[in-house]
Amino acid sequence: MSGLFRKSIRTRLTLLYVSLLTAALLLYGAGTSAFFLRNLREQVDETLSQDVETVETLLSVGPDGRVRVQAQDTDEDEGGRLLEVWSQDGSLLYRSPELWGRILGAAPDGHEGIQGARLADGTRVRIVNRMHRIGTRPVVVRLAVSEERLWQEFWEMVSVLSIGLPVAVALVGLTGYAVARRALRPLESMARRAEQITAERLSERLNIENPGDELGHLGRVINETLARLERSFEQLRRFTADASHELRTPLTAIRSVGEVALQRSGDVNYYRDIVGSMLEEVNRLTRLVDSLLTMSRADAGRIPLQRAEVPVLDLAKESAGLLEVLAEEKNQKLTVEGDPMVAVRGDRVILRQALVNLIDNAVKYSPSRGNIFVRVGSNDGDAVVEVQDSGPGIPPEHRSKVFERFYRLDKARSREDGGTGLGLSIAEWAVGAHGGRIELDCGTEPGCIFRIRLPKFTTEENTIPPEQSRKT
Amino acid sequence: MRILVVEDEPKVAKALQEGLEAENYEVTLAQTGEDGFFLASSQAFDLIVLDWMLPGRDGLEVLSTLRKRGMQTPVLVLTAKDAIEERVSGLDAGADDYLVKPFAFPELTARVRALLRRGKAEAAPSQRIDGLEMDLVARTVTRDGHRIDLTTREFELLEFLLRNKGRVVSREMLARDVWKESERATPIDNVIDVHVARLRRKIDDQFERKLVHTVRGVGFTVREAED
Repeated sequence: MSGLFRKSIRTRLTLLYVSLLTAALLLYGAGTSAFFLRNLREQVDETLSQDVETVETLLSVGPDGRVRVQAQDTDEDEGGRLLEVWSQDGSLLYRSPELWGRILGAAPDGHEGIQGARLADGTRVRIVNRMHRIGTRPVVVRLAVSEERLWQEFWEMVSVLSIGLPVAVALVGLTGYAVARRALRPLESMARRAEQITAERLSERLNIENPGDELGHLGRVINETLARLERSFEQLRRFTADASHELRTPLTAIRSVGEVALQRSGDVNYYRDIVGSMLEEVNRLTRLVDSLLTMSRADAGRIPLQRAEVPVLDLAKESAGLLEVLAEEKNQKLTVEGDPMVAVRGDRVILRQALVNLIDNAVKYSPSRGNIFVRVGSNDGDAVVEVQDSGPGIPPEHRSKVFERFYRLDKARSREDGGTGLGLSIAEWAVGAHGGRIELDCGTEPGCIFRIRLPKFTTEENTIPPEQSRKT
Repeated sequence: MRILVVEDEPKVAKALQEGLEAENYEVTLAQTGEDGFFLASSQAFDLIVLDWMLPGRDGLEVLSTLRKRGMQTPVLVLTAKDAIEERVSGLDAGADDYLVKPFAFPELTARVRALLRRGKAEAAPSQRIDGLEMDLVARTVTRDGHRIDLTTREFELLEFLLRNKGRVVSREMLARDVWKESERATPIDNVIDVHVARLRRKIDDQFERKLVHTVRGVGFTVREAED
């Protein structure tokens, strides 16, 4: 059975309709044969009824009191008419010589009618029983005729049918196979083409002959999948290239600092300084690897969120409080304000990471004595946190890319600050994982607003009907 | 104090040995899980530092067998894997603490000290070093009799540095123990640097002898100035 399912679709299709056709033809043949057989029998029976009437006229009682049948040169007698005449009390009065002593069954029980029977030697016969009077004497006339010819005709017909059936099935099977093959040919060519599309040739697409039909639909779906695959491969390629660049930078520093130090000679403090400088780069590498790991685990969906109700203003104040000293060092004013009632449901640690990264970014890019605003509010049922800096702004062509991994506006500067180039990507992931998004809003005036939108959490207090809350 | 270090990477093993010996511990090295298991079950150690990924017998396997045999010695597991669920399976196997590779050495020695003195709580009500006095109950700081005003964070920072006086404290340790940050994100390091700079301004700037020192690439330390 399982072997059948492993065969090709066209073989399976052909097998399927060949077997359906066979079953239908068999049913049809059986029905026809049965009908034919019944017709033949009816004919025999009709002849038999006529014959028995003829025979009755020929019966007479001889002078010796025995029943005789007047000889009559009938042509139809070749098959031999089998005749018995019984008395009412069950004694045999006459038996035709053609019977050769065979009997047509037991003494009649007084019923008239036609029945089928088998003689002792196996010959099938049709028998008619009729009440009759010879003169005044009641007798039972029993006339039989062999069914041999009937069966012969029947089997002839059956054999004609059974020769025709396999021929018809074979014809339909072959035609069906050819049709299925033709119908599936575009599928085969699509498969061959898809086989040739590898990671290196993802830009290629399947040819679609008829976009409207089922195969065209399949082709479109495959092409869309290929497009998505191509995009993610492209992202991966860029990410790998960027990541190796980022990793190579500190590695190069470690290497050259070490090599130069070994060529020179210096005192203990010199070497301490060298080792320290190398360790700084190691720290940078470690941080980078940690961030990459976080991102890859986030991509794989392996960072479980521990959700709880988080008051947003609280979280914003906490995040800003952590970074306040950085702003103070640059004489910046970091202001947190907004609606204390706004809350979201989420993982506090992860959400805070997003906010810390955004605020850190704002501190970094705002000038000395600049202003940074963190505003909490709600809008269209969303909880909103805005982080507004007073930096130089982001040129329009860069705006869509700032959330990309390792994307930097000013490459040299942000690496100097110890950034990994992943801060905004991580923030975007953190907000996205909570079903929210970050919008970038840069107006004409300097500075940009990073706006976090998160689904607002409705506290139970708000959902309790007024009457109930009044009671408490 | 005897410490068994089970670590297959020779460079790391050697660094661990030298670093721990510099802290006056007696160190025995094992390169494989089997060796480690043999040494741990035949000799008495005060602490075992066990690498997770070992050739032959996996570190956690060694650990759980040792624990089943009733070994009570505290075990510090080193691992390159940092997934939370893996940490949990390490705890189940009987580890007392973890350190994710690559770790900062001061962090390792701090954990080792913590494990070794486990149960022996030291609640010193005050700390002092070279004229600087810190009253942990009254929460006041004076240097040479002059009162120094510190913010809460600066006070906690100084307390942590003083508890570890003479030793180097890494930024990781400060982030975790003083700032209670579970994630080591970049901005925290900058925040720590700023706070250390401010602390230094308050307790060192007016004085000839400096107490807070930066160890480049590693972290900070409080120690008496070498004249």
